[in-house]
Amino acid sequence: MLEMRAIEKRFDAVVALNGAQLKSSAGEIRALLGSNGSGKSTMIKVLAGLVAPDRGKIFVDGQPVTILSGLDSKRLGIATAFQDLSLIPTMSVTDNILLGNEPLNSVGIVDTKQAQQTIRDLLDRFHIDCDPAAYVQTLPPSTQTMLEVAKAVSLHPRILLLDEVTAALHYDEIQVLFQILRELKAEGMSIIYVTHRMNEVFEICDSATIMRSGETVIDAPISELNLDDIVFYMTGQRPEVASADACCESTTEGELVLDVKDLEVYPKVWGISMKAYKGEIVGIGGLQGQGQPELIRVLLGAEKLAAGTIEFCGKPIHLKSPADAVSLGIGFVSGERGREAMFPLRTVEENIVAGKVAKGGIFQYLTPKSLRNFAKDAVEKYEIKIGALHHPASSLSGGNQQKLVIARWIAMNPVLLLLDDPTKGVDIHSRREIHKILRRCADEGMTILISSSDSEELLDISDRIYVFYEGSISDVLCDESKTADRLVAAMMGMNAANRKAGA
Amino acid sequence: MKMNLSKSFSEFRKKPAFTGFILFMVALVLNAAIQGPAKFFSANIMKTLFSTNMSFLLVVMAQSILLISGTMDISVGVQVALVNVVTIMTMKTWGIHFLLACGLGICAALLASMVCWLLVSVLRLPALLASFALTYAIKGVNVLIMNVPQGKVQKVFYSAYDSLLFGIIPAAALFLVLALLIWAYVSRTRFGTNIYAVGANPRNAFAAGINPVKVQFQAFMVKGLFVGLAGICLTLLTASGNPNQAEDYGIRSLSACIIGGLSFGGWGSLACGAFGGGFLILIQNSVYYFFNLLYSLIPGFSVTSYWHNFISDIIIFLGLLMTIITAKGQREALQINLQNSVRFRRRAENAK
Repeated sequence: MLEMRAIEKRFDAVVALNGAQLKSSAGEIRALLGSNGSGKSTMIKVLAGLVAPDRGKIFVDGQPVTILSGLDSKRLGIATAFQDLSLIPTMSVTDNILLGNEPLNSVGIVDTKQAQQTIRDLLDRFHIDCDPAAYVQTLPPSTQTMLEVAKAVSLHPRILLLDEVTAALHYDEIQVLFQILRELKAEGMSIIYVTHRMNEVFEICDSATIMRSGETVIDAPISELNLDDIVFYMTGQRPEVASADACCESTTEGELVLDVKDLEVYPKVWGISMKAYKGEIVGIGGLQGQGQPELIRVLLGAEKLAAGTIEFCGKPIHLKSPADAVSLGIGFVSGERGREAMFPLRTVEENIVAGKVAKGGIFQYLTPKSLRNFAKDAVEKYEIKIGALHHPASSLSGGNQQKLVIARWIAMNPVLLLLDDPTKGVDIHSRREIHKILRRCADEGMTILISSSDSEELLDISDRIYVFYEGSISDVLCDESKTADRLVAAMMGMNAANRKAGA
Repeated sequence: MKMNLSKSFSEFRKKPAFTGFILFMVALVLNAAIQGPAKFFSANIMKTLFSTNMSFLLVVMAQSILLISGTMDISVGVQVALVNVVTIMTMKTWGIHFLLACGLGICAALLASMVCWLLVSVLRLPALLASFALTYAIKGVNVLIMNVPQGKVQKVFYSAYDSLLFGIIPAAALFLVLALLIWAYVSRTRFGTNIYAVGANPRNAFAAGINPVKVQFQAFMVKGLFVGLAGICLTLLTASGNPNQAEDYGIRSLSACIIGGLSFGGWGSLACGAFGGGFLILIQNSVYYFFNLLYSLIPGFSVTSYWHNFISDIIIFLGLLMTIITAKGQREALQINLQNSVRFRRRAENAK
């Protein structure tokens, strides 16, 4: 029914899709699997008309088609339930579900009676208990997700795309959803199902397409695959489930810098406890969107914590803003350079001293000379390749921009440095240099907390790795247990499932 | 009956127009109290209120539509003046009938709206800056068309505008009825919901198969129509042409919308704008009468009329502040409720 051939897509230097393939036929539920950055979400976006591929062909019913907008996608009978929700929070349930598809009467006015009937049937079918007139923003996340799926199904598509919809759902809701998916499958709908929960793949899917770094690795019926195979195709590693809960907390001696207990952040993080010692590089791993950025931002005071305590250097802290964190000696390097770290139009010098300025009093006098020397030292020390200190920061390459941001914070000598995926989109050479810089800082006594979507990077650089799965820590790796196999297993939540069974 | 009433009231409390409605009622009661209810609600006072302020009220409603669709136009004020000068000058130079001239005036408003749409939606310039710049362009056009205040409207039209139908209904209110009828139709078409989607999140609207640029074009056209009607009201009220008037409608209509409970993009309704506009009008009105009351009560009391503006602006400022605070409170309460319900579910599931 649907076929995508040799799809390519680049975002600047990053190759998102590199000759990816996808096939699906009527009456089939196909799992689309892959780890971080494998391009599965981009594939979904291509089909939904949100991303235009650079190259490649899409066929529906054997006919070549082009999808340039959401409208094109809809016209071809494709409906999508997005991971990051496409609902409009300030609109009612009814308006949201019918959006762009409102039933009209003969004079072009929306037929409210028919609309209400449609909505009531739909909510009943999905066992959603909510007022059709309620604003979506007043509903809990799981209900919103169910509505998202209901909205897609209400379009009566021939091809239904579900992008990680179960992440926010509760057990009973998932069962309802699966029942509906089975019905739709029997009606001949072709369903493409993106998930990171392996048990769901075996429960509901007929076949799987597995992607790795923008390429399709394998396309096979589920019956021919087992869990180890899937993980192998996704990551290139055979998973090794931890035999016992090796306790890594006590193995490291030294001064406790960060002690987080039962941390909760709405709505992504649930009961995280972790420790970081002086001079240690602590890695945070996991698939994307398992709560890592939320944890980092809570430690920075940029997000509110819902429950739990944070102790920093032995004292409990209550951060109201990142400025509080900075004054305590916490630094933050974001992977989102453009959005959270850089001032692209300002000069290299200004970008480096930005952190120093932030720490000083607002009317503290700074001589131009001292600032220039400060910046010059940092540039030399961290071997940042620049034209001149007065050039705009945007003139630097991506890797050097990132080094610039890291230099900004390291130059201030923070006690704790938080890094959120700092090497995203950074070339391999700069990446290695950044690792070198971080290691040197740790040796000098800085504590570093680094979150990364790249498993190899984590294994390379971290002393210990906390692996996140669905907002909780599924495993802690250190020393001998710090292997790629075990990291992969923990990322897939295999340990979490075992632990629950054991507990 | 009583149950129904209290239920529909609690429904209404959740509507975005609620704060605007309360403020409007407060201003209404204040007015009635200062002037005395019997006098305030008399047909003649109502007639004057409607005829002098209908133009502004229509502009506020026009601005509401734009705010809902996620954009704005602060050149609406000079657009009203544009309608005025086009109507008067086409009548004067070409000798055409007044009603035809009004039609041309409305066309001018639609044209100006289209230019603003081009700048804001198609070229994606920041709405505030682009429409502010447009203010000066349109002002220039106004003066080109009519360099000094001049012209007149036949008496039959302007006296009809400032009259009472059946002795109780202000004729000017018919314009409001017309605008509401137009809106009643438009808001019940797909446009009525699409406008909210586009205002709240153009990307998601696009993903749902909606063309945001097209929806904003429709919004600008409806707004142009309303501004055209507003211009006709102003022409009928002043019965002459003036290229330099109504400019402050632009900013004032924005503040009226915010007071009424609208926010930038996808939240609120036309009722918000209407209540907010009504609040502004009534506060200015009541302050005027309040000072009149002071003059008569305190012998020798005398201040310049700048004090009127000062007092009414402070009240408007407090109104704005209040909407911001209540909106924030609502949002936070919502967050905490949701958070707790999710945490409760989560714990229950873990306990299983």
